[in-house]
Amino acid sequence: MRVSAPAPQSRPDLGPADYPLSVNRQDLLRTPTGKPLSALTMNAVVAGEIVADDLRIAPETLQLQAILAESVQRPQLAANFRRAAELTAVPDAEVLAMYNALRPRASSRDELLTIAENLESKYHAPVCGALVREAAEVYQRRDLLAREED
Amino acid sequence: MTTTQPRHSRRTEILEDRPVNLDGFVEEWPEKGLVAMESDFDPAPSVRVEDGRIVELDGRARADFDFMDTFIADHAIDVETTEASMAVPSDEIARMLINPTVSRQDVLAVTRGLTPAKILDVVKLMNVVEIMQGMQKMRARRTPANQGHSTSARDNPLQVAVDAAEGALRGFAELETTLGVLRYAPLVAIALQVGAQVGRGGVLTQCALEEATELELGMRGITAYAETISIYGTESVFVDGDDTPWSKSFLASAYASRGIKMRFTSGTGSEVQMGNAEGKSMLYLEIRCVLMAKGAGVQGLQNGSISCIGVPGAMPGGIRAVAAENLVASMVDLECASGNDQSFSHSAMRRTARMMPQLLPGTDFVCSGYSGVPNADNMFAGSNFDTDDYDDWNTIQRDLQVDGGLRHIREDEILQVRNKAARALQALFAELDLPRITDEEVEAATYANGSEDYPERDVLEDLKGAQSVMDRGITGLDLVTALERTGFHDVAENLLTVLRQRVSGDLLQTSAILTHDFVPLSAINDANDYAGPGTGYRLQGERWEQLKKLRHVTSAENPETEVS
Repeated sequence: MRVSAPAPQSRPDLGPADYPLSVNRQDLLRTPTGKPLSALTMNAVVAGEIVADDLRIAPETLQLQAILAESVQRPQLAANFRRAAELTAVPDAEVLAMYNALRPRASSRDELLTIAENLESKYHAPVCGALVREAAEVYQRRDLLAREED
Repeated sequence: MTTTQPRHSRRTEILEDRPVNLDGFVEEWPEKGLVAMESDFDPAPSVRVEDGRIVELDGRARADFDFMDTFIADHAIDVETTEASMAVPSDEIARMLINPTVSRQDVLAVTRGLTPAKILDVVKLMNVVEIMQGMQKMRARRTPANQGHSTSARDNPLQVAVDAAEGALRGFAELETTLGVLRYAPLVAIALQVGAQVGRGGVLTQCALEEATELELGMRGITAYAETISIYGTESVFVDGDDTPWSKSFLASAYASRGIKMRFTSGTGSEVQMGNAEGKSMLYLEIRCVLMAKGAGVQGLQNGSISCIGVPGAMPGGIRAVAAENLVASMVDLECASGNDQSFSHSAMRRTARMMPQLLPGTDFVCSGYSGVPNADNMFAGSNFDTDDYDDWNTIQRDLQVDGGLRHIREDEILQVRNKAARALQALFAELDLPRITDEEVEAATYANGSEDYPERDVLEDLKGAQSVMDRGITGLDLVTALERTGFHDVAENLLTVLRQRVSGDLLQTSAILTHDFVPLSAINDANDYAGPGTGYRLQGERWEQLKKLRHVTSAENPETEVS
């Protein structure tokens, strides 16, 4: 493993006993819109106070789950959660477009590097950017970049 | 006409007519990769690290790495420990796997540093009983579970809903659907979700589709997890599948970024079936898949040959190799949804024997899945077990005192949840202005077995309705609101609770399922602690009492009556 993300600002000291967070550490959980889990009630749904964005995961929560995964020796899972934390900022359609661009022979080297730059500068997603850069390098070596005639 | 045929014995004729002789069997052809797990063409284990980087993997120098080697070397194998782990003799690692005094954590400390060829070298030493012993300890979640399919030959959403409700009540922790006509997907995925939450709140659902569409349904909150994320053991077949380890890793993160549980899928035989096994054994290539999944950071893997089971099933030792691939997923600390999910043999005995290596030790999901509809309605091309086998499955659990995740349910309870699921879907469709479900259909659904027992639906209207779900951007939250508004408060509450889980991310951890109390149960708070006889998961207490019940059990107090 070489992929790692910058640690969150303040790193709570989480361990296996804190899991599940939805039961044991609700105090740490917020929706991306800043609501506590306890606000997501049926009454609130009926009153129209809950929107789809309230049922998404916040990047901070993914960082907490990454810490938990690390506490049980699952570094790759933690790295995945850190990439995911970054991708929370990217709109659905763009996530799908980036995935499709990473398919074999779908993109030129420049196109992949543009995606990486976009991830890094626009979405502050350096770990995801690094994954795309790594793909560009391997695709070039293995002849998996888009071909001229494509 | 005079006969020139040699005379057969009566016994030969009887044996010729046995179902097993409708199955296909072929000889090994190692040069083409048509060999389960013992091939002279598989590489010898090796690793070399320079400057904190793996520069040689299983006899291949870094300059010659294909993308699987590159990905596994850079992401899956622990560079710090690999040289020490590789120095441990294979027979010692195999013994650690079956020795109950060696903990799961101790085994993981070694397996984190192993290469694909080394892992193959270890499991090749193990017979099928030893593989089961290993699985008993290495399965990530302490409590085993099962997954079901709910599909319809006519893509009838109502059938999918009621069979999901029945399946959920019988015990499936996850339910999966797929389609004959793909455009039906939004309606069928909604039906699966509603039916599951009627049967037992907290059951997780998914709809198997092309990767991008599957992700879209997940993002909308119509499905709860995803599994049809296929990976392959050779670069050429991976590329034929229009993906790479990097695109799949990105996809894994995309799912997690929306709080959606996800696992990859792979299996022995896929590469040779897709025509490019590069002369390697099926199990060697599958181990590369397992390590690729590990490297991507996905929490789990569906493997056990899956839709390619006919290939290892035709080979000598093929079913042993399939058991071994499940063990490999578990011994590198991934959730394993262990196959038993595709029509495999005409022989009931072979079908049963094929699942013993998963049922007896227990896996995270013994089937992935068991057909919760009659086989003719199974749109995954049939499963190894179906609704006709429910009572047999329950009886085998009771005979051997093993927990295969299901239980016997009395007919009155089943009719009740089927009827409720049908009415809930009827109300939901009406509320969302989707094609009407009639009272006649609800009645049929309550008592039906297969799709032929339902009134035919107007397919064109249904497809328009399915399209409108996508066009209008209907989400899981809209389903909650509509269910609540139509008086199905408990179902709405169940679905809201499942959706709320996304916010916490608890279901993203390894082997996570939801209990009937909506408590996430994963390899963190339910870590497998098997340490020999009397430890680990034991079928006892209230759960064992449930599993003692069958359709017909004679009362001890009054032998004239039955309890059920």
